[in-house]
Amino acid sequence: MKFQRFNLKEKDITPEELFNNRRKFLKLGAAAVVANSAVIDLLAKDNYPTSNLKYIKDSNPQELELNTFEQITSYNNFYEFSTGKEKVKKLAHTLKPSPWSITVDGLVEKPFQIDVSDLIKQFSLEERIYRFRCVEGWSMVVPWVGFELSKFIKYSRPLSSAKYIRFETLYDEEQFPDQRRGVFGAIPYPYVEGLRLDEAMNSLTILSVGLYGKTLENQNGAPIRLIVPWKYGFKSIKSIAKISYVSEEPLNTWQRATPKEYGFYANVNPEVDHPRWSQAKERVLGKFFKQKTKLFNGYEKEVGHLYADLDLRKYF
Amino acid sequence: MINRVFLFILLLLPAPVLLYEVLVIEVNDPIKYIYTFSGTCAIVLLFFTTSLSLIKSKVNLLKYRRMIGLFAFFYACIHFLNFFVFDAELDIDFVIKESLDKPFVYLGMISFLILCFMAITSFKKLYKKYNKYHRLIYVVLVLVTIHFVMAQKALSMEQWFYLFVILVIMYFKFNQRKGLFLQR
Repeated sequence: MKFQRFNLKEKDITPEELFNNRRKFLKLGAAAVVANSAVIDLLAKDNYPTSNLKYIKDSNPQELELNTFEQITSYNNFYEFSTGKEKVKKLAHTLKPSPWSITVDGLVEKPFQIDVSDLIKQFSLEERIYRFRCVEGWSMVVPWVGFELSKFIKYSRPLSSAKYIRFETLYDEEQFPDQRRGVFGAIPYPYVEGLRLDEAMNSLTILSVGLYGKTLENQNGAPIRLIVPWKYGFKSIKSIAKISYVSEEPLNTWQRATPKEYGFYANVNPEVDHPRWSQAKERVLGKFFKQKTKLFNGYEKEVGHLYADLDLRKYF
Repeated sequence: MINRVFLFILLLLPAPVLLYEVLVIEVNDPIKYIYTFSGTCAIVLLFFTTSLSLIKSKVNLLKYRRMIGLFAFFYACIHFLNFFVFDAELDIDFVIKESLDKPFVYLGMISFLILCFMAITSFKKLYKKYNKYHRLIYVVLVLVTIHFVMAQKALSMEQWFYLFVILVIMYFKFNQRKGLFLQR
């Protein structure tokens, strides 16, 4: 073997800029060791946000494999912006998530309005790592941050005559381009979803205000959205502006649009196909091969009892 | 000859682009992406081949009609193989069940079978014998249009526009070939 010691060429020398960047990176790493270990977790992988929420971490006992921040924030169904899942991220800047007032009305002791920032202060936040399954056949695993909907329900004091909870996404043509299109809009607006009150009170159901430790991105439904992990994604309504307690089953948007294909319950169920496609398997974002879909998206133990007497084929 | 080679490369170009996007860029939902991409290519080329006779007085591309049609078939093959290999994971029972069960799937399947027939009989000897059956392309055009609409949860403005373009082409085509549809 021959050594060519002093034969360095221009291309062999690290440019000063890169050299300095490397030093900066090392310094940042050193700072992180001092600051807190969570930062290291984030630095280890690129493209992760800096956490700005205080919350109790989910220990992820099932060892679900998380989707990346990039995947979760760039593949979104948010028809108020576009029907194209890859287009939403670019368009979502028109949404102004702060200040954001939520109206609570219907069968409650006293209807009220509250700003999301004040609402969040009422509850301690916790992380929930959940599977998320879209009715279209794709899925992901998301570390949401939020609080249990049941806590909000107790806080808002509904009357005993309330049997269902109904949610509405903001209606504002300035912020949501597709709402401007009137009859040419993709679906009727404002978007409406609902739950039976016992479903809403289940401890899996949360109102989410963040993911990966950071305030929700607009495209994920900022500033506050519902997460019902055992139901198809369209139940998990985004950018909530109004919450009402009602006595009758609310007519949710997709059921209204196509009642033969989408129902009120929308529980994840590999046995009950969508009329146009099978629901037996799902495509996890970022993976080429499909995996089997589980009944109630894998949360049968926690929620199966809610539907003990329900014909799941009829009430899809 | 140069034109033919140029057109061949142009029509083949989407294939490496698709490969690049799936393998290098790693799109989030590859199976879905392959469906949309190959389906779009196939539909566009199908309508393009049938439109050639409408514009022949302006630009006569009729001599390339078979090649363009075969490329439409090529993208339809990718679409079908995506269904069979990646989506159904070679589960033949599943493919048969879905094909019999779901209008969305069997519309695509019928179209694909017709295209197979047309591709096989597009070569000289067989074409002489079977070319009259190539009118089945009109059935395919109607079926794939319905199939395309059914693939969406809701139509976007863009997709309404595509649909409009399709209807315009269909209108002119119908006028041109009235005899075929109405006569006798």
